Amino acid sequence: MSCTRFIPQIQEMVDGTLGAIRRAELDMHLEQCDDCRSLLEDLRRIHDAAASLDELQAPDRVWLQIAGRLRQEGRLADTPASSTPRRSHVALLAVAAALVIAVGASLMLLWPRAGTTPAPAQAGAATQPGTAPAASGNPAAVNSVEDVENELRQAEQHYETAISRLQQIANSNQSSMDPQVAATLQKNVQVIDQAIAESRAALRTEPTSAPARDSLFEALRQKVTMLQDTIALMNEMRKGNSAGAAQVLNKS
Amino acid sequence: MCRGGQRGAGSATSKMTTRPSVPAKPGEGPRAAELALVERCRRGELGAFEELYRAHAGRLFSLACRMLGNPADAEDLLQDIFLAAHRKLDSFRGEAALGTWLYRLATNQILDHVRSRAGRAGQVTDGLEDATVLPDAGEHRLGDRAIGRIDLERALAQLPEGCRAAFVLHDVEGLEHREVAEVLGIAEGTSKSQVHKARLRLRAILGSVRHQP
Repeated sequence: MSCTRFIPQIQEMVDGTLGAIRRAELDMHLEQCDDCRSLLEDLRRIHDAAASLDELQAPDRVWLQIAGRLRQEGRLADTPASSTPRRSHVALLAVAAALVIAVGASLMLLWPRAGTTPAPAQAGAATQPGTAPAASGNPAAVNSVEDVENELRQAEQHYETAISRLQQIANSNQSSMDPQVAATLQKNVQVIDQAIAESRAALRTEPTSAPARDSLFEALRQKVTMLQDTIALMNEMRKGNSAGAAQVLNKS
Repeated sequence: MCRGGQRGAGSATSKMTTRPSVPAKPGEGPRAAELALVERCRRGELGAFEELYRAHAGRLFSLACRMLGNPADAEDLLQDIFLAAHRKLDSFRGEAALGTWLYRLATNQILDHVRSRAGRAGQVTDGLEDATVLPDAGEHRLGDRAIGRIDLERALAQLPEGCRAAFVLHDVEGLEHREVAEVLGIAEGTSKSQVHKARLRLRAILGSVRHQP
């Protein structure tokens, strides 16, 4: 644009601070300058669009983390669970819900990450002449795609066994829990189960995808960790130990 | 958050509760309710602090998100802001509205974060005192289509931090240039040039988005 000297006046027009004399000068210029008219229109629209932006909603996990921190730092009134069951219940429910969110968020982050588990093709390449074996101490185990897949299946089986045992403990303890808290914790399992199902579906589509394998194992590992945390949380809740429950949250 | 209406110089409607210089009258109805809420928070009532949080978190999260250009950082900072607020509740006397008090606290924390991030990144250019005005990108006209909220939020995140902060406070939050200058610790003229620069950059960014096939 050749008439840059009018830009400050156009901006002040948008601000609503342009004086009458300079406004008249600008109006005269605008009558004969398409570029400046367009600029004024665009800047006004940007200003108006910015002014009408909606308020963003803070994720619930922020409050849950704040509540956990306040409790952990002893900045809340000390209220034993037996005397004020409702307040304790609400706080612990918040702690339980935070587990859902923390686990869900961490799983979301897994997808774009580069894989660390060698894909079968990569494992095969590592055993070519002149290169070191990929797996230390067990080069024969990575000699074929089949071997790698067998190992992965075994590893998955180990996870499944651990999950099954932990799930039994968690289920047996849930009978003594408040139904609302139990329902919230159940969401944890659903979030992870969904991630596991999606990872398995991705593996079915691309059996050699290292990121898909990583996601599956990470989801399984998360489920083990989450169940361990759930059990620890149940123990603390049964004892009415809010600080202990907050520690479980912070650990996770 | 107070929105709506034409804002700018002479407008008396722009986010009154957020303004640093708005006088307060202790004992008025809403203020008395705020003092009572703060007192409950001081006594350690989690429910009271949650009430305070729910009333103000959205506005402060929006401010942090837009000034930082990064929702994850904004979440962390929102947590820090409310934890700091809880620690400092004893210093709240009700001279200003609770929203104003929190807004000041939040802007200070956000700006500290911006400055420390800029310092860590070794960014010495385009600071808050940078008054460079870009030449207009005439080829980036917006055309007739409306400016989408998501497009604008994305474009905001691409602005340099200095002019983004001034733009958010002025055009989004509705503060006047003198108030933006007070909050950011810059000259009023610098606030104007930063806001103006931001608008031109946004036009170029939004215009280029529109011209993509």
